[in-house]
Amino acid sequence: MPDLEDAFYRVVDILDDETASPESVPDLLRTVCSLYGLNSAAYFGVNVSEQEQGEPYLAVTYSSEWVAHYRIQKFVDIDPVIREGFSSMLPIVWSAYDARSPRLKRFFGEAAEFGVGKRGLTIPIRGRSGDRALFTITSDQNLVDWSGSQRRFERDFQMLAFHLHQRILRARGVERPVPKLAPRELECLKWRAAGKCNWSTAQIMGISAKTVACYLETARVKLDASNTTHAVAKAITYNLFTIAH
Amino acid sequence: MLHIVETHNRLSFSLLVEDMFALRARVFKDRLQWDVHVEDGKEIDVFDAADPLYILSVNDVTGRLEGSVRLLPTTGPNMLRDVFPVLLPDDLVVESPIIWESSRFCVEPDAARLGEGRIHRVTTELLCGLVEVGLRAGLSHIVSVYDARMARIFKASACPAEVIGTPTRIGRVMTYAGLFEISETLLQNIAATQPTRENAELRDDLPALRVA
Repeated sequence: MPDLEDAFYRVVDILDDETASPESVPDLLRTVCSLYGLNSAAYFGVNVSEQEQGEPYLAVTYSSEWVAHYRIQKFVDIDPVIREGFSSMLPIVWSAYDARSPRLKRFFGEAAEFGVGKRGLTIPIRGRSGDRALFTITSDQNLVDWSGSQRRFERDFQMLAFHLHQRILRARGVERPVPKLAPRELECLKWRAAGKCNWSTAQIMGISAKTVACYLETARVKLDASNTTHAVAKAITYNLFTIAH
Repeated sequence: MLHIVETHNRLSFSLLVEDMFALRARVFKDRLQWDVHVEDGKEIDVFDAADPLYILSVNDVTGRLEGSVRLLPTTGPNMLRDVFPVLLPDDLVVESPIIWESSRFCVEPDAARLGEGRIHRVTTELLCGLVEVGLRAGLSHIVSVYDARMARIFKASACPAEVIGTPTRIGRVMTYAGLFEISETLLQNIAATQPTRENAELRDDLPALRVA
């Protein structure tokens, strides 16, 4: 049984070491595996580069044979963890998929044969700028031991996964150009985000409803949004409301 | 019983999710007269498009929706950060992978009518669901923005909140931000606010959540 507290702080220390290069992420994942007694670990991030439609970022400790097999078999099309994980909040327990279809059973069976590990846990990560990621750990432990490990590890891995994600964002210099809105445009958008109609926003801000509509329209254009709801969503994605405070 | 609905299984629950938006309109707009945006009898906001997790309480006998609540991670878009930062002093930001935010907690008004001083089964069920989900995700806390009405319910439900920041009047509603520490003990305390028989049913209901 690894000393969990010690393992956790050792990993956090490595993660927060700014001098380490981004190429060392797979090494880092290997360290996590050995400290926690795991089979493998993987990180898969989207929207983690400067361009809005940039390449996803992948780092794994899986064997190159499995990575090649996965690619040739086009498993990305059926892999339920990839398909569901990015919109999920709850950690995904792989065994929940076994019963769903023979195809998925085969997929996870082959993964185990290639040494990925019989049990898997995937933690979804959500960042503030539309960036999302999946952090996966796997093991060959029996079911009872693994359920116990999962309970003990889960909070640690929620935190480690987020540290790793922040580290990868920093290493990739993620800084997107943020549209500049006037304070009043922002305030109107914010009240719309809170569900207020133009009339109520006007009452709160002490201006006319027409003026509110005007601010919302100029904000919509600046954000390159299709309508006000879209503008609110974009403002949130760009983190504009928080910056304003 | 409780259903956990995320984006990946939302299609399987699409009718209940529509019912939830209608319930939210009845509760927050019609009854509490919050200043929320309602269209076609449904209260939907921008965070409903941000892949939240919903907990739905459904009547075992009738199959009807009786209550719902929404969760969002505090590391992504959420109400406290994006809509209500005024509640927090300047240097305070709630952003952690082990803190999620709950919002839009509501119970069907017809179902909610009960004798004096009793907490409705659906309220207890939803609060238990929040803690259970929190335990499953390894959370330390759930943060919530709520009003005086909810503050009374939390207190009566053995679910004390630690108020953070500064309670502020927003529109006509005194608004608070509070933290709930997630633990097995909290779950037991909340369940214990129900009479024994219902309490037992509540506990029976929970293991199903673990595999949902």
